[in-house]
Amino acid sequence: MAKVFLNGQPVEHPHEVHEHISPMSTYNAVIGALFVLTGLTFAVSFADLGPASLTVAMVVAFIKASLVVAYFMHLKYDDKYHLFVFLGTIIFVGIFFGFTMFDLKSRDALNDEQETFVRWKEQQNAGKGLVVGVDNVPERRAKVLADIEAHGGGHGGGDHGGEHKADAKAEHKAAAH
Amino acid sequence: MSNEHAHAPAHDDDEHNPHLAHHFDTMGQQTASAKLGMWLFLATEILMFSGLFLAYFILRMFYPEMVLEAHEHLSKWAGGINTVVLLTSSYTMALGVRSIQLGDVKKLRLMLVLTILCGCIFMVVKYFEYSAKFQHGMLPGKYYTAHLHGYEIDGLPHIFFGVYFMMTGLHGIHVAIGLAIMLWMFVRAGRGEFGAKNYVAIENTGLYWHLVDLIWIFLFPLLYLVK
Repeated sequence: MAKVFLNGQPVEHPHEVHEHISPMSTYNAVIGALFVLTGLTFAVSFADLGPASLTVAMVVAFIKASLVVAYFMHLKYDDKYHLFVFLGTIIFVGIFFGFTMFDLKSRDALNDEQETFVRWKEQQNAGKGLVVGVDNVPERRAKVLADIEAHGGGHGGGDHGGEHKADAKAEHKAAAH
Repeated sequence: MSNEHAHAPAHDDDEHNPHLAHHFDTMGQQTASAKLGMWLFLATEILMFSGLFLAYFILRMFYPEMVLEAHEHLSKWAGGINTVVLLTSSYTMALGVRSIQLGDVKKLRLMLVLTILCGCIFMVVKYFEYSAKFQHGMLPGKYYTAHLHGYEIDGLPHIFFGVYFMMTGLHGIHVAIGLAIMLWMFVRAGRGEFGAKNYVAIENTGLYWHLVDLIWIFLFPLLYLVK
């Protein structure tokens, strides 16, 4: 007979279906655990854990997600290739998060080093939010500074609005205070 | 289905299964292909939502006080009730898949109805939550008018509510689509299209619904609970 392939692998007995059917007790235990963990996150949210609360909430969420994926979505008993697809996605999400957060967190140091700056901190102090960034390309910097000047400095520098100089470094030092 | 399989072993009854498409050799192969396709689709769903989660984390990193202040205006209880409702619906959906694995179409249809019911409760709670936000002017971007309704939130609350509405809104759209698919499956089950050997459509509906549940498992603590 013709050879049958599943996910690129030849299958020995293609006509036998090996679907795992979980007993009711498994589903009952999983939903019970999910309710308990939900109650736990809810209760913990009233306690004052400070910065640890994000970690606790995320750990509990990961446990809940694992239960749903393993038992409700049958990944524990399923073709391992589906687990590979799922975990592969999670890894790429991790890369996406990791590199973006690393970039944003190290941006201040880089701005200092390369004499560029983004005004979000200054804006935040003035309660105005992120409005404009100035970089170290002279033409772009001149244009942005001119725009700020044209708006009377209101959008740009808070208290430092009137002191715009062509020198971005001086501007940056003012912003640091 | 096709005469190319005339030389297949005698114990093979797949050839006679009316649900076997002609381009597959066996029901097992057909099921595996459908499930792999579903998992790949779920992967794209996770990646799509990850962008919104990242937006949330960036906002939180830059403006922690503002996020904490703004999230106090979300109802913990509404979020909590919706979590329980959605988890229950995932449970009934999983039981529906189990029923059809055992060939019980009647129980499958009951479970689909229960799941749809839970999904509807979720949407009703969401409706009340959203209308409260609309009333208080807690809206995204330029539509944000909460300061005119007596709510003073420092920082960039209009960005926070933009993230809130994008995340819960996209999730809500997924719930609505899930409800429509389950209704469709309910009708198809009534026509006798599913059985113990042919239920991959039900299983894939379940996978989709569980993913919607998974996303909520992360949305709920991040938006409603975290301090």
